[in-house]
Amino acid sequence: MIKLEKVTKIYPDGTEAVKGISLEIPKGEFCVLLGPSGCGKTTTLKMINRLIPLTSGRILIDGKDITEVNENELRRGIGYAIQEIGLFPHMTVGENIATVPRLLHWPKGRIQRRVEELLELVGLVPPEEFVNKYPAELSGGQRQRVGVARALGADPPILLMDEPFGAIDPITRERLQDEFLRIQEEIKKTIVFVTHDINEAIKMGDRIALMRDGRLVQYATPAELLAHPKDDFVRDFVGADRTLKALRLLRVREVMDEQPPSVEASESLSEAGERMRQLGVNFLPVVDREGRFLGWLNRSALRPGREGRVQELMTPYSVLATPDTPLNEALSMMFESAVGNLAVVDGEGKLRGLLTFRRMHEVLRESYREEDEK
Amino acid sequence: MVEAWQFVLRRPELLGEWTLQHLYIILVSNGISLIVAVAAGIWITGKGREHIADVILYLADIIMTIPSLAMFGFLMPLFAALGLKSYGFWVAVVALILYGLLPVIRNTYTAIKEVDPAMIEAGRGMGMSELQILTRIKLPLATPVIMAGLRNAVVINIGIAAIAAMIGAGGLGVPIFRGLRNLRIDLIIAGSVAVTVLAWVADALLGLVEHWVTPAGLKRARQR
Repeated sequence: MIKLEKVTKIYPDGTEAVKGISLEIPKGEFCVLLGPSGCGKTTTLKMINRLIPLTSGRILIDGKDITEVNENELRRGIGYAIQEIGLFPHMTVGENIATVPRLLHWPKGRIQRRVEELLELVGLVPPEEFVNKYPAELSGGQRQRVGVARALGADPPILLMDEPFGAIDPITRERLQDEFLRIQEEIKKTIVFVTHDINEAIKMGDRIALMRDGRLVQYATPAELLAHPKDDFVRDFVGADRTLKALRLLRVREVMDEQPPSVEASESLSEAGERMRQLGVNFLPVVDREGRFLGWLNRSALRPGREGRVQELMTPYSVLATPDTPLNEALSMMFESAVGNLAVVDGEGKLRGLLTFRRMHEVLRESYREEDEK
Repeated sequence: MVEAWQFVLRRPELLGEWTLQHLYIILVSNGISLIVAVAAGIWITGKGREHIADVILYLADIIMTIPSLAMFGFLMPLFAALGLKSYGFWVAVVALILYGLLPVIRNTYTAIKEVDPAMIEAGRGMGMSELQILTRIKLPLATPVIMAGLRNAVVINIGIAAIAAMIGAGGLGVPIFRGLRNLRIDLIIAGSVAVTVLAWVADALLGLVEHWVTPAGLKRARQR
């Protein structure tokens, strides 16, 4: 656990970069320091590994004051990743990753095994293809992976990351973020992550510490920050589209109608038409005998007296969601699909649920109602 | 030319001896100045030494502007005043040490200053000591530039060392001055050609060394 107690930084020229921040980051949590440039987030990060000395206050790691440890030993126990520029160009990928293990005098064999393990973890496979390359021979995204692997070198319990995905194109950045979240699932480090990008913060953080002018304005989970911004600054910072941003925090499974009504492809059209009238719906999902989703039946295609089977008039589906699809993606799919509803299927293609605009609206209303009442 | 060639064929051992003397002067003086200049160059990159750096670089700059004859003119009475032999090998060596300082100090200083601060911070953030940052990051990255400075200094000094023959330090200046005094064109040409070739060869060899000490990762970066 990392604990900041009234941490203050005043530079010799009188600039107050950080003004009495108190913050607790539980073990294994991903904490994002977020804020506009100059808000003191990077200074706060660098005080944790003593790259910047504190003016007053205390920082405790697992209950121990960081000033009581030798600074180099402290830093060897804390992973540190910055923008890709921090890789050593004269060292191979393997040597870069081995930096801290070498400083700790690990035996050669152990270092080699660790380097291979880390290259696999960050997706630079096969390891033997990358280990002897130089940073100049890698793409920006690959370099950033090496940066993450290097920070994890000696398997430190804590990781400090200063805009690690800042200098990368948006597409690669999304991918690296996803991968890093996957890695974090596996390694469960305590992470302090600096960014000025609200979307990155919402996506990555278990908690967000929003800073302004050296002060901590709000420390909350992403959902809470979006639903209940503490003041106008937070509201402005998270943006007018905060409801849309909140969508990415939810998964389809949390919102979908489970056990939706459906028709079998082999049923007769008249039976299906009757069912739709009873339910008062214009669309029904069509499934096969095993419950696999096939497409949609549109009520307007049914004419009275029309004989035949459902499969003859069925519209095949164009988009699908899974229960784990983030809600923002699901919403976008719903706009794309002609039906306006979204079928949710599992890995075997079986219909698991249905997502409708109405259902989505209800759920969002629910989570924001509290604020509307203010 | 023909006479000069005939002289070389007649007395190859003499030319060889002068060349070796010349090389020896260069080796000793540039060897010492390399060590001093790299140490000084590193030292002045330290925190809070910006002013000292300015002064030292300025002094080294001034030394370079002193004509070599004047330099010997200053050093000979100085050696005499200190009770040392006021001519010969060591006076020449001291002069050449002074001339050899600037290119190396300046290159060492600039190369280290130009190492990306983000890289140094990454090293520090991972727990490298200042010495480890110097030996594992700064110096490997600066070495090619330092070598370029040395190469520069050696080529300059090979020329200046020829003049040192005037104060009895030996080397390839000996046949040149002897030829000038006795109107022996063959000696003048033999000495001049030998000095020039020596400078070319040294330049080429040190160029190879420069390439050889450049970290592979930087060579790859340059190819892109």
